[in-house]
Amino acid sequence: MIQLTNVTKQFGQTYAVDSISFQTKTGEIIGFLGPNGAGKTTTMRLILGLLKPTSGTITVQKLDPIRNRLDVLAQIGYLPENNPLYGEMKVSEYLGCIAEIKGLAEASHVQEVVKQVTIEDKLNSKIEELSRGYRQRVGLAAALLGDPAVLILDEPTSGLDPIEQDKIKKLIKTVAKKKIVIFSTHILSEVEDIANRLIIIDQGSIVYDGAKPARKGSVAKLFKKLVS
Amino acid sequence: MKALFKKELQFYLNNPLGYISLALFGVFANFMFVKDIFVYGSASLRPFFEILPWLFMIFIPAISMRLFAEEKRTNTIETLLSLPISEMQIVFSKFLATLVLAGIGLLLTLGLPISMYALTKQAGARIYLPEVFVGYGGQLLLACGFTAVSLFFSVKTKNQIIAFLGSVITLFFLVIFSTDFAASVLPRMLQEIFNYLSPVTQLDNFIKGVLDVRSIFYFVSMTALFLFLTVVDLEKRQ
Repeated sequence: MIQLTNVTKQFGQTYAVDSISFQTKTGEIIGFLGPNGAGKTTTMRLILGLLKPTSGTITVQKLDPIRNRLDVLAQIGYLPENNPLYGEMKVSEYLGCIAEIKGLAEASHVQEVVKQVTIEDKLNSKIEELSRGYRQRVGLAAALLGDPAVLILDEPTSGLDPIEQDKIKKLIKTVAKKKIVIFSTHILSEVEDIANRLIIIDQGSIVYDGAKPARKGSVAKLFKKLVS
Repeated sequence: MKALFKKELQFYLNNPLGYISLALFGVFANFMFVKDIFVYGSASLRPFFEILPWLFMIFIPAISMRLFAEEKRTNTIETLLSLPISEMQIVFSKFLATLVLAGIGLLLTLGLPISMYALTKQAGARIYLPEVFVGYGGQLLLACGFTAVSLFFSVKTKNQIIAFLGSVITLFFLVIFSTDFAASVLPRMLQEIFNYLSPVTQLDNFIKGVLDVRSIFYFVSMTALFLFLTVVDLEKRQ
């Protein structure tokens, strides 16, 4: 479970995140929606312990991400925005390295994840030579290694063509069943396709937190109504 | 930590940068000594060991500049910091990989003591072996200190060139503190302090073949201090 209570993050005089609270449980796929600069990435970095909150408390599986950084990170798979990867490495080397850092001894687990994200044919390719879609799948594979209880995906389909977007969305749905998934996006239809819960953030504050509206197109309406 | 160490070392070994830096270091180190070998008039590696700090001053920042600066520029640092590995382990992995490369650089100069040993043996003389072993040990300690300084500058910026220049300038000042030039321009009191702080002064005993605990302590402290500052800077992202 992830719990944020009155979390604020200030950069100088700017409030990137302003007193936000929410909690999540297993099985939830949370679409984290908001315009650019709304505070989505900052919230994700706070959960990961990459940033320290100015005030408020965060717990991931009852652990503080700052004080118990390594224990928390062992339970989170993270796909950062723009998916930064080591381009000079081969896919197999990269995933092997991440698996080793995550303390995974079994190569079979890596193979399983590779199969799941369908990159078997690219294992010997250099990451810098891959298309954006494949790179995204490699990033997702790295996040999935170790079967983490929490998946945090920052704009996982950003910059992809519609076919690749569909593949990634299906993949997220498949792996999400026994996990907490938080994914940020500003593509409204994506939330309708994947999420079962919606959090809309605007100017650092949560303006909506609840079930995803059932009717097609209603997420867009809600978003336009709530976001300035 | 092993995985990251391997990744860093592989980068050097799969990349022209590693080989070019090693080749240049090897060529310059050997040439700078050999060109005057008959001028020295004694079968000693002391002049060679005195040249090395000047070469390390360029070589080590050149191979270390990318270690954090490039991670920051490409934002792979975020990927790295979101993995269950401590900042200290990250810094140590990078430090050790660079040190291994510096060690390979030193191995490329082993032809000098070996050929000198063979030549002096033919002439019925001998080179003083402890001087060779302790001298190389001192150079390795110097490489530790210089690598730690370079890592610190690499973590401070996204720009490799700034990281390189920052380390070279700092190391240059540390090296010249021990020279006659510094002695002639600095007030006497400062001159003594700076001279003590210079790694070249601390290297003197090693070059003579003397293992001095104070100098070992100096290099260990220098390395630990800059590695600590690097770890602190990396943690500061939080």
